Amino acid sequence: MLDKLKQILSKIDADYADIRYEIKKDIVITFNGKELSQIGSNSTDGYVVRALKDGGFASAVFTKIDDAAQVAKTVVENAKLIGKDNKKPVKLAKTDVVKENYTPDFIEDPRKVSIEEKLNITRRANEAALAHKEIATTNVAYREVIREKTFVTSEGSEIKEDLITVSLAGEIIAKDGNLVQNVRVATGGSDGFHTIRNPEKNFEERTQIAIDLLKATPVKAGTYNCILNPSMAGVFTHEAFGHFSEADIIETLPAMREKMKLGSKLGSDVLNIIDNATIPNQLGFYKYDDEGIKVKHAQLMKNGVLVGRLHSRRTAAEFNEPLSGHCVAEDFRYAPIVRMGTIFIEPGDKSLEELFALLGDGLYILDAKGGQTAGENFTFGAQYGYIVKNGKKAEMIRDINISGNLYKTLLGITAVGKDLVLSKRGGCGKGQINIRSCSGAPHVIAQGLVLGGA
Amino acid sequence: MEKLLEMAKKVCDQAEIYSVDNKSNVVSFENAKLHDIDTKFQSGVSIRIIKDGKLGFAYTRNLINREELLQNALNSLKGGVSADYEFPKTLDLPKLNTYDSSIDNITSNQMVEECSRVCELLKKTNGEISSTAYSYTETIRVMNTKDTDVSNKISQFGIYGSIAYPGSASGIGRVSSAKKFEKMPNELIQETVDTFNVSSKEVTAKGGKMKVMFMPNCMYALNWRINNGTSAKSIYEKISPIADKVGEKIFSDKISIYDDPLDDKYPGARAFDDEGVATSKLHIVENGVLKNFYYDLNYAKKLNAKSTGNGYRSAQWESDRISLKPTPVLANLRYKTGNKSFKEMVKMIDRGIIIEGALGAHSGNIPNGDLSIGANPALYVENGEILGQIKDVMMAANIYELFKNVVEVSNTLYYSYSGLMPAILFDNVSVATKS
Repeated sequence: MLDKLKQILSKIDADYADIRYEIKKDIVITFNGKELSQIGSNSTDGYVVRALKDGGFASAVFTKIDDAAQVAKTVVENAKLIGKDNKKPVKLAKTDVVKENYTPDFIEDPRKVSIEEKLNITRRANEAALAHKEIATTNVAYREVIREKTFVTSEGSEIKEDLITVSLAGEIIAKDGNLVQNVRVATGGSDGFHTIRNPEKNFEERTQIAIDLLKATPVKAGTYNCILNPSMAGVFTHEAFGHFSEADIIETLPAMREKMKLGSKLGSDVLNIIDNATIPNQLGFYKYDDEGIKVKHAQLMKNGVLVGRLHSRRTAAEFNEPLSGHCVAEDFRYAPIVRMGTIFIEPGDKSLEELFALLGDGLYILDAKGGQTAGENFTFGAQYGYIVKNGKKAEMIRDINISGNLYKTLLGITAVGKDLVLSKRGGCGKGQINIRSCSGAPHVIAQGLVLGGA
Repeated sequence: MEKLLEMAKKVCDQAEIYSVDNKSNVVSFENAKLHDIDTKFQSGVSIRIIKDGKLGFAYTRNLINREELLQNALNSLKGGVSADYEFPKTLDLPKLNTYDSSIDNITSNQMVEECSRVCELLKKTNGEISSTAYSYTETIRVMNTKDTDVSNKISQFGIYGSIAYPGSASGIGRVSSAKKFEKMPNELIQETVDTFNVSSKEVTAKGGKMKVMFMPNCMYALNWRINNGTSAKSIYEKISPIADKVGEKIFSDKISIYDDPLDDKYPGARAFDDEGVATSKLHIVENGVLKNFYYDLNYAKKLNAKSTGNGYRSAQWESDRISLKPTPVLANLRYKTGNKSFKEMVKMIDRGIIIEGALGAHSGNIPNGDLSIGANPALYVENGEILGQIKDVMMAANIYELFKNVVEVSNTLYYSYSGLMPAILFDNVSVATKS
């Protein structure tokens, strides 16, 4: 394959070019309620080329090898077109030439587990939820995605890396009359199949939450001080801050770029945020990004001050900041973009009891239910929560969705717990999905959150 | 493909081959400068086989090894996914005008020029400008062992322009689309500029119950819930709150919603769905009365109904169609237009907000019809005048209540992220703000 890729690359008349070929294998096992609705294993493949020519940088994707010549021509023409009237030619940050064939270690290699066993485990997890009469239905899926990547650049780098991601996740839906409540369940990881085994207890616990939600009170719209559990605070970090650490987002927004200068104070003094995909045995782990850059530990916020950013080769050159190795694609259908790897709030010194005492009156909200960022504004949902009175957990609440603002909300994080937890399943969508997007945090107090209510 | 079908015929009771080939070119301008050009040539083949009431499913990019693809499908039979339905015999279909061959002659250069023109017009503001143009062609073919062999070629060109409030990266955007190269209408560009200008000032307002206008670009937040409530999948799973309400009035009589796959004035028309079933116009809600649910082959069989030609290979977070099995989808959802223009509707707001963009539409309780979204941005209106934008705003509703309180539906449809959509003004909606 290396020779074939080098041959395609040699036909691209550019100042710099790279090509990534991927074989993507997946196994999907899906239950809708008690019925198995999908099972199978498949393999697809394709190519992504990028070319820098005369100050312009363009990309192209193809799946049929017969299209290679056409693509080689098109991508160079497009790059030239971009470069033509460009007063500021695109540059790529310099990097070392790397030749490596990297295969990660697995605690238990998912490829060595039979599909029958995967089906059995999925079925058992699903049945644990369906055993309760309040549960109307479920959508539960086992997914295994194997990316076998080969990456070659005109500078001489040749890198092979395999990424294997597994998840067992879905939705448990409880019903009482016309009231429907849903809870999400997710486990998995990037270091092996052991992350999937024995899921029943987890599914039982999530099922009980779905059932309890049928009796919970809808939260009243308003502004609240809240304790966020690690899942909530992790997604909060990702949405409220992380996306603006992605240099490609702010690269072409002059006013925002000014506000997001390194040294700007965006968070409270207790807030320290890192992106560190190099930590082994967690979801976000990888060695090289899809530009062949080794991923690095990146301190993004220190005591509330912006100190670092996530980069591609293009943005690192544009910002004149160090490469971080965060330019990642979903698969062979996409050119890579800047992505978070493993972003988290560093643990502080407070126990959960101390956080409750500090909060006094407010809400305790748990387990993220998706978030979205657009510009300075973001929202994220919680699957459930509790009213807190005098530092004590009281009745359960539902329909929790929060709106926040990049420049204000991080200043409202006033206390940080000790208990860091990282997420086990990703799925950030920024035009393409990153199933390894990992976020985490300890419990934190966030003041003045706007809740939409029900 | 024919050969693959022949091979499959010999080893199973029924077989279906679905193939797709597409080409796209996307030109994007950021901060009013050409930033990226991304070209894609993609193809794929997917096979479904049925044997002894069980389903086998497999797909690939390149049909180089037919034996392997068929073997993957045969292997997946062992999982025991039941399939009681039959693939359709579809022979005569209406001829739709879905493809304009001039799309093949559009150059990157031409798209760059159009984006550049749009950016120049949007620059009349103090905002940060971006624009994207795309051209897209696609051929879909569905063949099965009932002698169905249908194919469709489509073309689509689109252009998007937006102005962001400086320092915010949030702003006002509009999109236009057609089957061939068409410039973005100047009126639409002017509307983007005008809306941006009246909303650039930041104001504060108290929350509470008020009028809320959903602009076409955020109608998808409502549609997801309607789609969920009226899908045969939700009916079969007994999670639709309106499962027993066909024939009853569930929405305001101003609301008529239908699926119109045969309307080929706009891009995306289809004479057959992804299962090769002939499509037709389907009324979901007519003058507020719930008329129909929509079905694919699988759920139609389970519910003892007929497929309405709504089986599409689509999922919320996955776009690789060959990897997806068909599921019930409203692919060409439309609303009947009302009587007032967007400007007249603004005049009807005593106090309220206009939601230009929705944030977090996926995180509410969708099966129950609950919606709790951030407004990005929210334009604040008092006595029919847009006063500016308010930040940190959320609105919450249950769509089955919301759609009872419709003040007006706009008299024009706009191209939006979820197809052709009107703006809708609702009354008595809960809005939370920071002040």
